[in-house]
Amino acid sequence: MKSAVRMTGIVKRFPGVVANDGVDVDIRAGEVHALLGENGAGKSTLSNILTGLYRPDDGTVEIDGHPMQFSSPRDALEAGIGMVHQHFRLVSTFTVAENVVLGEPDSPFMMDAARVAQQVKELSDRYGLAVDPSARIWQLSVGEQQRVEIIKVLYRGAKVLILDEPTAVLTPIEADALFKTLRAMVAEGRTVIFISHKLDEVIKVSDRVTVLRGGKTVGTVETASTNTRELASLMVGRSVEFNRIVRSNPADVAHTVLTLDGVSARDDRGREALHDISLMVGRGEIVGVAGVAGNGQRELAEVISGMRPLSTGRIDVAGESVQSGRARSAIAKGIAHIPEDRLHTGLASSHSVEDNLALKNYRSSSLSKFRVLRRKAIRAQAADLVRSYDVKTPDTVTPVRLLSGGNVQKVLLAREFSSLPKVLIAASPTRGLDVGAIETVRARLVEAAERGVGILLISEDLDEIMSLADRIVVMYEGRLVDEVAAEAADRERLGLTMGGSTVSGGAR
Amino acid sequence: MRSPIRFERRLEQPKWLNWAIPVVSLIAALVLGAIVLLATGKNPLDVYGRIFERGFAGTRALSGSIKTATPLAFTGLCAAIAFRMGLINIGGEGQFYMGAVGATWAGLAFGGDLPTGAVVIVMALSGMVCGGLYAAIVGVLRAKFNTNEIITSLMMNYLAAIFLNYLIYNSTSYWRDPESRNFPAGKPISDRADWNFYEIGGIKIPLAFLIAILAAAAIWVLYKRTRFGFEVGVIADSPKAARYAGIRTTSTIVIVLALSGALAGLGGAADVGNFRGLLDSKGLQMSGYGYTGIVVAALARLNPISTLVVAVLIGGLTNAGFALQGPDFPSGLVGTLQGLILFTAVAGEVLVKYRIRRNRRIAAVAA
Amino acid sequence: MNSNIFVIIASSAIFYGTPLFFAALGGIFTERSGVLNLGVEGTMLLGGVTGAWASQHVPGSAWFTVLAAIIIGMAAGALTSTLLAFLCVTLRTNQTVAGLAITIFAGGVGLSSYFANVWKVAEAPVDRQVRRLDVLGWADVPVLGPILFNQTILTYLSWVMVVLASIYLFRTRFGLQLRAVGESPQTADAMGINVVKYRYLHTILGGALAGLGGVYYSLAIVPTWVDGMTKGAGWIAIALVIFGFWRPSITLIGAYLFGALQSLSSTLKARNVQISGDVLDALPFFMTIVVLVLVSTRFAHRRLGAPAALGVPYEREER
Repeated sequence: MKSAVRMTGIVKRFPGVVANDGVDVDIRAGEVHALLGENGAGKSTLSNILTGLYRPDDGTVEIDGHPMQFSSPRDALEAGIGMVHQHFRLVSTFTVAENVVLGEPDSPFMMDAARVAQQVKELSDRYGLAVDPSARIWQLSVGEQQRVEIIKVLYRGAKVLILDEPTAVLTPIEADALFKTLRAMVAEGRTVIFISHKLDEVIKVSDRVTVLRGGKTVGTVETASTNTRELASLMVGRSVEFNRIVRSNPADVAHTVLTLDGVSARDDRGREALHDISLMVGRGEIVGVAGVAGNGQRELAEVISGMRPLSTGRIDVAGESVQSGRARSAIAKGIAHIPEDRLHTGLASSHSVEDNLALKNYRSSSLSKFRVLRRKAIRAQAADLVRSYDVKTPDTVTPVRLLSGGNVQKVLLAREFSSLPKVLIAASPTRGLDVGAIETVRARLVEAAERGVGILLISEDLDEIMSLADRIVVMYEGRLVDEVAAEAADRERLGLTMGGSTVSGGAR
Repeated sequence: MRSPIRFERRLEQPKWLNWAIPVVSLIAALVLGAIVLLATGKNPLDVYGRIFERGFAGTRALSGSIKTATPLAFTGLCAAIAFRMGLINIGGEGQFYMGAVGATWAGLAFGGDLPTGAVVIVMALSGMVCGGLYAAIVGVLRAKFNTNEIITSLMMNYLAAIFLNYLIYNSTSYWRDPESRNFPAGKPISDRADWNFYEIGGIKIPLAFLIAILAAAAIWVLYKRTRFGFEVGVIADSPKAARYAGIRTTSTIVIVLALSGALAGLGGAADVGNFRGLLDSKGLQMSGYGYTGIVVAALARLNPISTLVVAVLIGGLTNAGFALQGPDFPSGLVGTLQGLILFTAVAGEVLVKYRIRRNRRIAAVAA
Repeated sequence: MNSNIFVIIASSAIFYGTPLFFAALGGIFTERSGVLNLGVEGTMLLGGVTGAWASQHVPGSAWFTVLAAIIIGMAAGALTSTLLAFLCVTLRTNQTVAGLAITIFAGGVGLSSYFANVWKVAEAPVDRQVRRLDVLGWADVPVLGPILFNQTILTYLSWVMVVLASIYLFRTRFGLQLRAVGESPQTADAMGINVVKYRYLHTILGGALAGLGGVYYSLAIVPTWVDGMTKGAGWIAIALVIFGFWRPSITLIGAYLFGALQSLSSTLKARNVQISGDVLDALPFFMTIVVLVLVSTRFAHRRLGAPAALGVPYEREER
């Protein structure tokens, strides 16, 4: 079969890391080819090279057998390569049609909105990508925005489509619809490169799989002749299994540590993001909050940790009320918080490890006296935590932004757990980490629960929630729409409720 | 279509850059200034030679430079302390005027009664309060309504200038000398309100410069050693992280701007007490100490101690500029050089963040 | 009837508002590309002083000299903002400080004053000016005559510009691409739009328009060069961009409002109205603050369409 894309010996270095170290990949025309690898395996770098965003330091790229050198994304687009980025490349104030026509090289001088809208509509009908051409991007759901991204690429006549972790933001049902679309495109002779670290969906959608590890190619296999177990061991270099973690010390639901009573709050645009949420977390209980990103999870975490004021309702920790919108009060009452955006919310990234470890307790009498910091005590605390949480850092004065993702998360965990909290809000605590770090983080969470900390685990990763949580609630459009015990949870039902379908019985 | 060089983010910032950047910036600014001079038919070596002679050679020149450096030290600290938190207070000029107004009032009101030491303290405090309150308005607008502090603080410079004109020229205010009917001028404060000079090694050091040294040291301690300084640092690094850690961002904004304005106001008080002895509307507006303070702070990389050193350097340049002004040494030259220094100082900051690398060609592809 | 005070104020609102509009329109282009230009004041002054010099020295017929002055002033502005673009786009410096540097470098006590001194611009009047026209001979028509038909050619040019700029920004593909660069350079880059080119071109265009505003001051408003003659107009123009929600048409209205405020002092004084001149002088600056407060709440900011990437240097290979 003919190659659509062949990349040989690709090397790309960034200051301090080699992201691609001699990667070879051969993609046939008319197939769905999965690029499988952990975070940091070099998948995104490779696709950025293929789309002309980065230039390789070494190696060759051939399209349809012709060697190519892309110096800009425009070159790649002209060669028929289009990319659907994980973080959408959309202008949120523009309409769908404006986003689609943007960058079209030979579009007429004056824009013709009606013509573009017509073409957008044709494409969306043909591939089942329903979206309103005149809607503005910020009004659309994440799934709809992804459809716009795909239409954009198709509109430019791409023959090869690269999708970077496309299902990360979708409900299981939306993901299935996406797979159908991809199949339809392949049936028409287009080629799809599907980047993912999720084994199930790679098996489900692809014809062949190339596995990357540590910036190198591990190998390419036919999907039909492999299974998840083999792919997993190829991906991480050893066999791994994520099973439901069995706890020795069960949750004590009789003692509530966190109570939310009729909580509502607004988002940054002033729209209601949380609607009348009531929830309880018991001592040592892990409650998983499932849902597609952007359904109020971030606001929920922020409200509980005092970063965002409530518009109605109240929050109690162990019977004591937390002041609305006062992070200091939340910290004092014993709420720890591992935010989604670790480097810019959870940490002051240009500050040193020791300053970040003191970020929440620098006001305590052990670390400051008469409002003057006790530097020695801060350093000693840091040395202690770095040791006990095994943070890999040259010293305690190194800025945290220079640490690796796993160590950044360890700094956060060390600070939040060392405060001996009653409640912990963990938002996507393992996202972007490698397998080793994921295991550490999960173990630490379970450990904390066994010590009696009530944990609210907010995650888009259904597997993570199902393997850690005692009880699962589902968020949809700012409401809690479902609640099940973890043993009774099944993926299909959770998938449905995450997408807004109501389930008879059990829905509140 | 690729550029021959590229910028590569530095992972670590070596310590030697801290002094290398200002030195290189200064030299680059002088080279660029030489180009302007050559283009307009002047001999740069000659001009620079005379600036050095008038600004730095000998005790008389140095005494004059330190005198000019004194207000610049205060406005430099004013800019540095706010910029450190990412608050671009360019209202040092107006806050300086307001400090002068407040201190003159105190000098006129108490100069006859209180002993000298007490008058100095009352004047300094009055200047700080006036400058601080004036800047706090900017802070409140920023904290409460998220109003861009750059433009508001600048607009308030123009308002302060109009206020000065009103006090001296367009009214019979307390500050105006009633004797000066035809040529309006400020009312002089009594001799007892005059601030002292000290002679060290033949160089006359004004009391205000010593106060500036104390202020710089205090700011250094405040920012390096205290909880407040820690909080300012976190807000500057990431406002979201500050909110997350329970740091009160809004009140910190107001406090930092008020402190910043108080420093400029103290400079205004020093200007009246140590040098002019009256509220000199025109003289204040011609000097532009507030704007030059921004150049001082930028070249000092917002470090309070370096601000003092840079203030003397720029003070010497400015002092020489005043002394030499004439057909051979047009006005505007000093401002141009200051602008160039600011350019090279900002451009120099790039070298802190990035390394400049040559772009290598990718090995040609053998088809 | 034409000496009615409201007619005079309306007429001078347009007369004094025109340079504000030029500078603010330049600001719209620059900011729409994501670059914040705080050097407008200095850029205007350099445009003004070079324009004044050209008016005094370029030989030829009067209209040729004036045209040359306009072009030279705009070129000076363009050159100044090229420097800004180099700092902000290529070197990715802090845009705020870079803009301040331009204003200190070129401003009232900087290069513009230096040039004025070296070239002796201030020692002679600027005789060849941009004069008010009598369009179609209608300047004496009651009310509308002095307001609409007795302005300078540059005012009429500005009206053409409002229309052209609005079409360019909102109806053409280049405008669309420009707005994308200012909203999300990552997106624009991924779509194959040259972010650096767009930022350079529109920063330079913005500088040229600021230079034109400066020429208006030295050739139409004040007949003699005075150091720092724009007296803060550049800063008011920056505020006007926000006031006009980054749209040319609303900005034009804002420019005329502030033009009226600026002219109020001299107009009322000439008619012996008993109001303190200082209060009137302070009005434009005070109103700028008021307007900024009104439009700057976070909620308003998003609604009003500030370019999302304004003031943020773009760096592609960030890791």
